[in-house]
Amino acid sequence: MNVEKPRILVVDDESGIREGCRINLEMEGYDVDVAEDGFAGLKTFKERGNYAVALIDLKMPGMDGLELIEKIRELDQDVVMFVITAYATLDTAVEATKKGAYGYIAKPFSPDEIFLPIKRGIESRNLALETKRLRQERENRLLEVAFERSKSNTIIRCMTDGVLVINRDKQIVLRNEAARRIIPGCENLPLPASLSALADLHEIIDFLNETATADFKPGIISREVAIGETIFMVNVSPVMEQGVASSAGAVAVFRDITELKKLETAKSMFVSMVAHEVKRPLGVIEGYLNLILSGRAGEDGQKQKEMLERSLIRARTLRQMVSELMNLTAMETGNFAIKRNPLNISTVVKEATDSCLDKAKEKEIDLSLSVEGPGGQDVVLADKSAMFSVFANLIDNAIKYTPERGHVEVRVENAGNYVKVTVRDDGIGIDAGEKDKIFDEFFRARNKYTARIPGTGLGLTVAKRFVGLHQGKITVESAPAQGSVFTVFLPMWEE
Amino acid sequence: MSEQGPLIVIVDDDFDSLEIIRNILEPAGYKTLCFTEPMEALQHMAIEKPRLIITDLMMKFIDTGFAFSRQIRFDSRFSNIPIILITAAFSQRRFAVQPQDKRGLEKMGIDAFFDKPVDPDDLLGKVQELLGQSGKEQGK
Ligand SMILES: Nc1ncnc2c1ncn2[C@@H]1O[C@H](COP(=O)(O)OP(=O)(O)O)[C@@H](O)[C@H]1O
Repeated sequence: MNVEKPRILVVDDESGIREGCRINLEMEGYDVDVAEDGFAGLKTFKERGNYAVALIDLKMPGMDGLELIEKIRELDQDVVMFVITAYATLDTAVEATKKGAYGYIAKPFSPDEIFLPIKRGIESRNLALETKRLRQERENRLLEVAFERSKSNTIIRCMTDGVLVINRDKQIVLRNEAARRIIPGCENLPLPASLSALADLHEIIDFLNETATADFKPGIISREVAIGETIFMVNVSPVMEQGVASSAGAVAVFRDITELKKLETAKSMFVSMVAHEVKRPLGVIEGYLNLILSGRAGEDGQKQKEMLERSLIRARTLRQMVSELMNLTAMETGNFAIKRNPLNISTVVKEATDSCLDKAKEKEIDLSLSVEGPGGQDVVLADKSAMFSVFANLIDNAIKYTPERGHVEVRVENAGNYVKVTVRDDGIGIDAGEKDKIFDEFFRARNKYTARIPGTGLGLTVAKRFVGLHQGKITVESAPAQGSVFTVFLPMWEE
Repeated sequence: MSEQGPLIVIVDDDFDSLEIIRNILEPAGYKTLCFTEPMEALQHMAIEKPRLIITDLMMKFIDTGFAFSRQIRFDSRFSNIPIILITAAFSQRRFAVQPQDKRGLEKMGIDAFFDKPVDPDDLLGKVQELLGQSGKEQGK
């Protein structure tokens, strides 16, 4: 493995020994450096390092051999050091070994006398190095494993889904924080615990029992389970050990899907409401056409015309409903492109009022507009067409739900940081119990006053959403048979 | 011309639906009275007893129509007046309003059920049938 020649440092103040060693060892295939005293030897060792062997004379001027051995050992744990000494006594040898020398070589020595110990020393160093490398490697791996384990522990702990691990004896052997939190009875359960300890889970215990068996096949089983008010999607998969065909148990992941379910139910409720609201006017149109075609409207042209007119109104309302629905859906999916520009709100309110003048005139309703504050300078950052539809809708409603010769009063004024637009009528008003519902999709008050009035029940829903998108607010005050006041607040725009 | 025919009370919160049913019944010789509110219908029925009631399952409260029919059933003055329910049937809150069979009708306290829009001939046929029965009872 080590193609590099083993490196040897010779430190001796006798040049004869130094050079003799160098020549002989180089011939043996070693890379040799020499130094004439302790200081020089330490310097060389520090500079070049990575010596396999150091031959160190004990008696040297300045720093002696023992001191050098000590210093070198501090720098390098693995270098094999031999003491060269002319006065070979057991004492010095022992002391040198204590300081970290591997062995000693007595002066004078023949080249052959040092080759063998050096060779052995190198072998033992290699062995030590290899052992060290292996140990390091193992330690690294252990660390890695420990790290991996704590990593997956952390991940499991931080999961928002509840995790239970069940062994083949149908015992819960592991649970994460979410499981403790969301699964009833799981919080303080001492583990391992029998599955049946979770009494609330009886619905899924059978299911888990089934799955925590040896022949549970790979794959996932999913089931929706209601525990109390909470609905879980439980996904159970087998724990398969590598190379083992049967499962060691099961992992059950509990996901709280209560909110999702609610949304789903709300969505399908909404769809069935839409279906119903579409069916209703279509039924009326079909009914009228049927009457006319079957001759039940008589030969009286006037009666037929009335029926056709009513059909037309219902068809138009239906069409309006479809476009309002599209607006609502677009807003919900975020596809509604609101273009907010500085807008003089009085101008928009005036346009909305003007658009309702004909309808007011038809019912001889007195429709008035007043703008207060600094000359109608009230500027908001808003989408013009959205604002127009909000106010046109409020004014249209006021006219619709006010009997003939009533009054509708539109007013624009400042209110602190808000522009306040009020639409007041003296019409049929709204029952106290229904005031909260009028902004709901499709809600329409149903009584003898409203029976003839066409509408979608979506106008206020859309208006409220629009106002909301502009960080505004819409409120209503009303008393039956006295009238209603709708107020829109929009935040003033400051440049 | 319809002054002499049997009186039928129609209750529906939708003006057009009332109109349509009225225009089916009147040319066939029935006298009709239309109401958009069940309470008003009940009040009027105390003065002038109808031979038949046609009502919608109203939306205001999902079971207003039923409540109305029950109110009639439990009122000894009206308990033998047949009731026809005509509604744009749909299910809300997973509650199927369409009666499946005769027992379903009985449970709801009604004698017949039609989906909107009702076929004029079907309705007239059913009206005749129901009036024939109660007509006998009343010794017409
Ligand atoms: N100015 C008003 N006066 C009385 N009732 C109102 C007024 N505006 C709205 N409403 C009630 O609120 C319901 C919902 O209004 P809206 O969403 O605009 O739908 P619609 O198309 O039915 O008018 C109406 O059906 C009506 O019962």
